[in-house]
Amino acid sequence: MTTLTRLDAAREALRSACGDVADATPADAVDGVPAALVARPASTAETAEVLRAAAAHQLTVVPRGRGTKLTWGRPPESADLVLDTSRMSQVLDHAAGDLIVDTQAGALLSDVQTTVGSAGQRLALDEPVPGSSVGGMLATNASGPGRVAVGTARDLLIGVTVVRADGVVAKAGGRVVKNVAGYDLGKLVIGSFGTLVVVTEAVFRLHPEPTARGFVTVPFGTAEEASRLVQTVMNAQLVPAAVEVDWRADGAGTFGVLLEGTPAGVEGRTAAAVRLLGTGAEAAGQPPHGWGVPPWDDDAPDGPRPTALKLTCALSGLGPVLGSLRRAATGAGVPVALRGSGGAGVQYATLPGSAPVDAVATVVTQARAVCTEHGGSLVVLDGSPETKAGVDTWGPVPAIDLMRRVKEQFDPERRLAPGRFVGGI
Amino acid sequence: MSGTHGTEKTAGPVLGTSTDTVPPEATSATGTPGDKADAIAAVTRVARAALPANGLITDPTELRTYECDGLAHYRVTPALVVLPETTEQVAAVVRACAEHGVPFVARGSGTGLSGGALPRADGILVVTSRMRAIREVRAADQRAVVEPGVINLDVTRAATPEGYYYAPDPSSQQICSVGGNLAENSGGAHCLKYGFTSNHVLGTDLVTPQGDVVQLGGLAPDAPGYDLLGTVVGSEGTLGIATTAIVRLVRLPEEVRTLLVGFRSTDDAGAATSAIISAGIVPAAIEMMDALAIEAAEAAVHCNYPDGAGAVLVIELDGAAVEVEHEYEQVERLCREHGSFEQRLAIDAAERALIWKGRKSAFAAVGRISPDYIVQDGVIPRTALPEVLRAIADLSSSSGVRVANVFHAGDGNLHPLVLFDGEKEGAGEAAEEVSGAILDLCISHGGSITGEHGVGTDKAAYMPRMFTDEDLDTMQLVRCAFDPDNISNPGKVFPTPRLCGEVPGKRKKPHPLVEAGLADAF
Amino acid sequence: MAQPTRVQSDEPQSDPRKAGAQAHGPVPIGSPTARPAFDDEHPPSAELISDCVHCGFCLPTCPTYTLWGEEMDSPRGRIDLMKAGLQGAPMTDSMVQHFDACLGCMACVTACPSGVQYDKLIEATRVQVERHHTRSPGDRAMRAAIFALFPYKRRLRALRGPLRAYQASGLPKVVRRSGLLDRLAPKLAAMEGLAPVLEKREKLPERVPAVGQRRAVVGMLTGCVQGEFFPGVNAATARVLAAEGCDVVIPRRQGCCGALSVHNGRQEEAERFARSTIDSFEAAGVDTVVVNAAGCGSSMKEYAEVLADDPAYAERARAFVAKVRDVSEYLAELGSVAPRHPLEVTIAYHDACHLGHAQGIRQQPRALLREIPGLQLKEIPEAEICCGSAGIWNVLNPEPARELGDRKARNIASTGATLLVTANPGCLMQVSSSLERQGTRMGLAHTIEVLDASIRGLPLSTLGPQ
Repeated sequence: MTTLTRLDAAREALRSACGDVADATPADAVDGVPAALVARPASTAETAEVLRAAAAHQLTVVPRGRGTKLTWGRPPESADLVLDTSRMSQVLDHAAGDLIVDTQAGALLSDVQTTVGSAGQRLALDEPVPGSSVGGMLATNASGPGRVAVGTARDLLIGVTVVRADGVVAKAGGRVVKNVAGYDLGKLVIGSFGTLVVVTEAVFRLHPEPTARGFVTVPFGTAEEASRLVQTVMNAQLVPAAVEVDWRADGAGTFGVLLEGTPAGVEGRTAAAVRLLGTGAEAAGQPPHGWGVPPWDDDAPDGPRPTALKLTCALSGLGPVLGSLRRAATGAGVPVALRGSGGAGVQYATLPGSAPVDAVATVVTQARAVCTEHGGSLVVLDGSPETKAGVDTWGPVPAIDLMRRVKEQFDPERRLAPGRFVGGI
Repeated sequence: MSGTHGTEKTAGPVLGTSTDTVPPEATSATGTPGDKADAIAAVTRVARAALPANGLITDPTELRTYECDGLAHYRVTPALVVLPETTEQVAAVVRACAEHGVPFVARGSGTGLSGGALPRADGILVVTSRMRAIREVRAADQRAVVEPGVINLDVTRAATPEGYYYAPDPSSQQICSVGGNLAENSGGAHCLKYGFTSNHVLGTDLVTPQGDVVQLGGLAPDAPGYDLLGTVVGSEGTLGIATTAIVRLVRLPEEVRTLLVGFRSTDDAGAATSAIISAGIVPAAIEMMDALAIEAAEAAVHCNYPDGAGAVLVIELDGAAVEVEHEYEQVERLCREHGSFEQRLAIDAAERALIWKGRKSAFAAVGRISPDYIVQDGVIPRTALPEVLRAIADLSSSSGVRVANVFHAGDGNLHPLVLFDGEKEGAGEAAEEVSGAILDLCISHGGSITGEHGVGTDKAAYMPRMFTDEDLDTMQLVRCAFDPDNISNPGKVFPTPRLCGEVPGKRKKPHPLVEAGLADAF
Repeated sequence: MAQPTRVQSDEPQSDPRKAGAQAHGPVPIGSPTARPAFDDEHPPSAELISDCVHCGFCLPTCPTYTLWGEEMDSPRGRIDLMKAGLQGAPMTDSMVQHFDACLGCMACVTACPSGVQYDKLIEATRVQVERHHTRSPGDRAMRAAIFALFPYKRRLRALRGPLRAYQASGLPKVVRRSGLLDRLAPKLAAMEGLAPVLEKREKLPERVPAVGQRRAVVGMLTGCVQGEFFPGVNAATARVLAAEGCDVVIPRRQGCCGALSVHNGRQEEAERFARSTIDSFEAAGVDTVVVNAAGCGSSMKEYAEVLADDPAYAERARAFVAKVRDVSEYLAELGSVAPRHPLEVTIAYHDACHLGHAQGIRQQPRALLREIPGLQLKEIPEAEICCGSAGIWNVLNPEPARELGDRKARNIASTGATLLVTANPGCLMQVSSSLERQGTRMGLAHTIEVLDASIRGLPLSTLGPQ
């Protein structure tokens, strides 16, 4: 039997499962790995049919939302089928009085925000990569400045509908914020890079939109200064919504605080923050340059993909982590720009796409050691194929055996985004 | 629901013999009694070698004091109780359990209300009450590192001098343990604003059901890999035993205002709650108690709630002083507009404490107005509150069973207390029926069968009403990954255990295309 | 972790299935022929036991649970054991050990939201224990010595002063041979160092007249330990009451109130002491009986239960109970008239368990102390947890008592106060040795001594080291 007839059989099975199945184009490649087919189911039921067909034909499947972060993580070992959720783009139900929203996974995060915004509410998740779908954001656990106050997806997702690799549909959680019935599969799915299940529907808790916002910024020049500013603000009574550190490649830094609340409250707290931060502190109604945008987006889009790093540490380790990354990069002769939530201990950094792989590897190894020493980790989120091939992208993962066992249970045939995740999962 | 909670009561000197219900699963054994006894003896030998001499309880009379947790209706005497002091000791006992196929159940302070720590007659009860060191208060990291037996409130006590506290505050916070909170994903009055235990536990050392020690999460957020921690928190001890918890510390607010508001009816109080939430205010807590619950609390702790109130709200606002001031003005006005007849702002810490004492003692206090009662825990969307409260009132009047209502109004978490007198024939059954009907109400309104007490032994049979077989099967894939032999708190959460040998889908085998040499063709 | 050695069987229950069954039926645990733990004469009440909903709110306030972290040494665990006893379980050594380990501090009674009357339960249980349990020879000797010493003022007098403990030739043999004196000596020594400057023992007259206009006539209990070790407290009590307008009647013939016996299940002895105390005060013809020792006051308020089965005394006991007041309770009721002089001092007020938990008297002493100009009152962290004195508990359980005492002393020291004030002689003795051990120098005084100093305008130095 030829390859072609295998593909034909799979295509046929998929078409009877789903109204929108097409042959993949080069644009559908997943991080350089060419795909064969693209299915765009319109519902959870159709997704289940597609996954059953894929199981029957032993297809590897890479779930895709809007494809904005498809190169994050490692490239999959294969991508027979791209399961595209973009037709599941409905915001299903906004129960304003209950402060929840129920949405299909393929919906644009911005559409969700528009819907809930009409009632003066928001889903308190930032959108660091514009154009993200809800599902894609969950799969990559993307976060932005707002995480200091309300956390990340794991703190907001209250219900999830998923389809397993074998096509079984399952729900966990529900439509109420407070709920401890059964295992919290939502948390397991967040940040799993599509390797466990396909999320088709999600329910989130919402927050009221604040009536006023104010920013306070102050320049800094060293890692120690940045760390001290973070400690000062976090230990004060400002109740910040975001505490950001932006340390550009040229060594100039901006420390920024976002205050949200009532107009009178924000005014008072802004004034207090300006006093607290001392010389050079300025209040502004608008965010400073680059606020909430990952530092790699500052680079010109042409040329090889810049290397995107995510560094985490205990708050007290911020100074050493920032300092070590800067020193490692300087030592390796590559510029580094950093930006992230100083208040949460989560930093994003970027090295130019043109940086030699071994220089990147050196920087990663050195900075990772310091992150680990301070209770955190360093992950290479994205980079050129050469870079990803030449560095340990995920780094050490303490409970990897247990994670493999989880994967083994959910996807025993390793067909969902194989190889994209930690430890080759 | 398979049983009643609360007090047992019989007339004669022989207590609690006829009404006790034990899930058959808890006592049935698959092996022969002799095999089981041998296995337990083997684990006992290991435990004796690994633990200090006073760390084992084998005396039958002493073992009886461990036969139930805070849900006293279900009682099973464990075969052995161990009181380990270190992670290594826990791991040694669990390894022995794994080796000999002996089930184990973890228990903290034994205050759970769903029978989550109900022992197994053929199993070991691992009690963490001697693992109670607060290892570190790391104010600069906004974290504390604690052992599982540490009492919830003690974390706050340790962090307060540094200007921080531990936010999750179950009503039993003065005695419940952090380990138990972690297992149950405990909530509390203040989770409306600050979230639940799962939002505040950032790392743990977990002794897996194989007896291995793995680190999940840590001081920093977003550890790479699956968020196993997020699944372990709230898994009710079915995925292993947490022996360390890294918890978030929250900055003590600049300003706290606790307001006690009296209303004529729960309808008015519910409407005020909705109005507050709709105004875009997220108070730290909004708690409601109805007239019966108020009566009980008054009897127990003399909390001096407003006279003649059909309902009270306890509303707490916290945060930056200037924001709290603004919110307070709105809340005060909204309550007035919705019919409050008395508002009392706590003027000092003592008054604040008394207001909360009334609320937090309410469950046990109901013992003062009724010989027996069932503590229910269900969740509804907040907007369904008036409708559901009316339905509960209807249930109560049609059945003649009194129901006191205490609940976290802000997030729709109801704690109806179904009152009965166990000495009256049929009263227990009638109460159970009402209690079950309340859960059905929650489910039919899109809610949950438990908001914070957990499924445990008590509600496992109810899970199929809320979840499909596929949902439960999928959840149990996680169980199979962690505990394929089903020895970690078996019989809890899930009505029927999944056979972990049954791998979903087709058996794992080489890809046919690989076999055919065409693996890379697509 | 100091803990009594547990009686342990070598192997767990042989048949787990049977074990499960045992827990649910009325079948007695252990040998089916063993005698049940309790007889029918006032066993712990099944009705009261059923009030316990097992919520666990008692655990953090229970000193033994705090020490050892195990259920059977907690109030709800002991209630489980009582229940087992009612269901026919025999009174095993281990069961008795857990009942004995209870300090009787009654912190659990305060903490219990369900209103479980654990005080009644444990006292009923203790009477049963005394009736049915055979203690080890050493334990028997120690208890015999205690009860041959404490309730008797003359014998106690032989212990006064730091060296007397070793020269106590006048004491009964049972006391000298028991080892009791060795246990007491360090505490007595510590107390001598920290307690208020011992005034010359004043012989109190039988009647102390009111200063100014008479407002009331009250009787006063002098107590055993109070009278012998803290005579200044009795003198101060009489002076303050007189200053506040009371004629104070101090019956000469009064003996021990029986507190130790009541709290240790020695029913007959307790009844005897109770009857004699009632007789003394009835003869004195007073409307109120004022007590300055928390332990004495709490047991005197229990006389109605102690003598419930005595037809000749049941009614009289009820009438007597209605008259009993702690001195701070009484002074607060009466309202102060005597002017207070300033005392510039920071004090830590320690709630004696038998005042706070057993009698519910917490606000009155604080209110009285706050009336003194210049006085700063500090609250002690973990105030609800017993200092480990608990009547004779610290003598019977020296090691855990020391742990509790040290914990209390650390908490007291953390307040930064220079004077510790409380209302029970046992607490003062217990805490003094722990403070001494940790090197904290601070004065110790009874509430009434502070009031006395203020009313008389005495300097702080009279209240011990500052």
